[in-house]
Amino acid sequence: MDERLEKALDFSKYMVTMNNQKRILREKFNENLLYFTEGSQFTITKELITFVSMLVERDIIADVVLTDDNDRPVMIPNLENFQDELLEKYFQASNEYFNSYTSLGKKRSVEKLIENE
Amino acid sequence: MSKNGVLLFARNNSVLDYVKQAIFLAGRIKTYLNIPTSIVTDSTDYLINQLDGESIFDEIIPIPFEDGTNKRFYFDGTLTHKRLSFKNDFRASAYDLSPYDNTLLMDTDYIISNSLFKSCFTSNENIMMFKESYDLSDTRDNTEFDFVSDCGVDFWWATVVFFKKCESSKILFDLIGHVSDNWSYYRRLYQIQSPMFRNDFAFSIAIHILNGLIGENSCVAKLPGKHYYTIDKDLLVSIDDDYLSFLVERKDYLGEYLALSTKGQSVHVMNKFSLERVLYGRTF
Repeated sequence: MDERLEKALDFSKYMVTMNNQKRILREKFNENLLYFTEGSQFTITKELITFVSMLVERDIIADVVLTDDNDRPVMIPNLENFQDELLEKYFQASNEYFNSYTSLGKKRSVEKLIENE
Repeated sequence: MSKNGVLLFARNNSVLDYVKQAIFLAGRIKTYLNIPTSIVTDSTDYLINQLDGESIFDEIIPIPFEDGTNKRFYFDGTLTHKRLSFKNDFRASAYDLSPYDNTLLMDTDYIISNSLFKSCFTSNENIMMFKESYDLSDTRDNTEFDFVSDCGVDFWWATVVFFKKCESSKILFDLIGHVSDNWSYYRRLYQIQSPMFRNDFAFSIAIHILNGLIGENSCVAKLPGKHYYTIDKDLLVSIDDDYLSFLVERKDYLGEYLALSTKGQSVHVMNKFSLERVLYGRTF
């Protein structure tokens, strides 16, 4: 086989594995964005963060009703606490995603890409 | 105070050792969820023998041994398969058999690797199941897991089911028993091609009936996260705590695989041969 083609095929295997691992990291990030409170599940999205921030800014804090991931209404007794926990979890998940993603980019072989750190 | 726990069903066939899978899974449940596990099995003596005095199970619930007439193909990668009995017809009794007020019912080939399901036990929901799933290979056509048939109702996974002992759960499980008892009728009614009984289908049909025979769902909530899975044409290579590595089928290249790994993600490993090879070095 032409050496150029052989190298390209080897590299394509590396790229496919890299993309697979990136995809799985993104899935894990999405899973890490789940936040549980008051017996309900909320997926932390930028939209939720912005909406909650807007309510807090307007001093709407006590006993606020939000809808959870199952579209059930949930009474949040203290929206400031809710916002703090939301942000903490969001940044925890984002930082973990960032670190794993950056570390993946430094790996130069298929074996390294899938190894346990 | 209400009792929480996990319930596993383990009924061996002539080749696959679901009991050993259950012992392995019970250990992981202790690690990641820290709640008791009970097992329903038709191989009590064999189980006690395997446990060797250890008490990993909260309760051992015996059921009568049956040979199993439900047969299916079990693949071990893309090139090998065996036709074996598939003893899955006892799941509807989970409600009556469970010793817990809040039960997480789980398949033995679900490799739990995080504590996400802890949230179920503080949830307001009575019944929770996976609707959304994610094939780790991400290259296959998985529309069969969207609906039970081409013109059929929503597909719900019975791999993991959370339920509280309450009237709605009781009605659901009784209805699943009815669907199971009249499977040849219901599979035709719901246009399911295969005559093989599947719990996923029975649950999906029961949920559709309970929802008033309409698509809109209000009786079952979604479990946290997604149902990650690899099919039996993929291979599990290793498990190291929460790290799992796989070789997944390469689309359009029969017998070729791509390497892939997960960390901290629970995965349903459908290739039971490769699971048993990894768990205790079994050869087939």
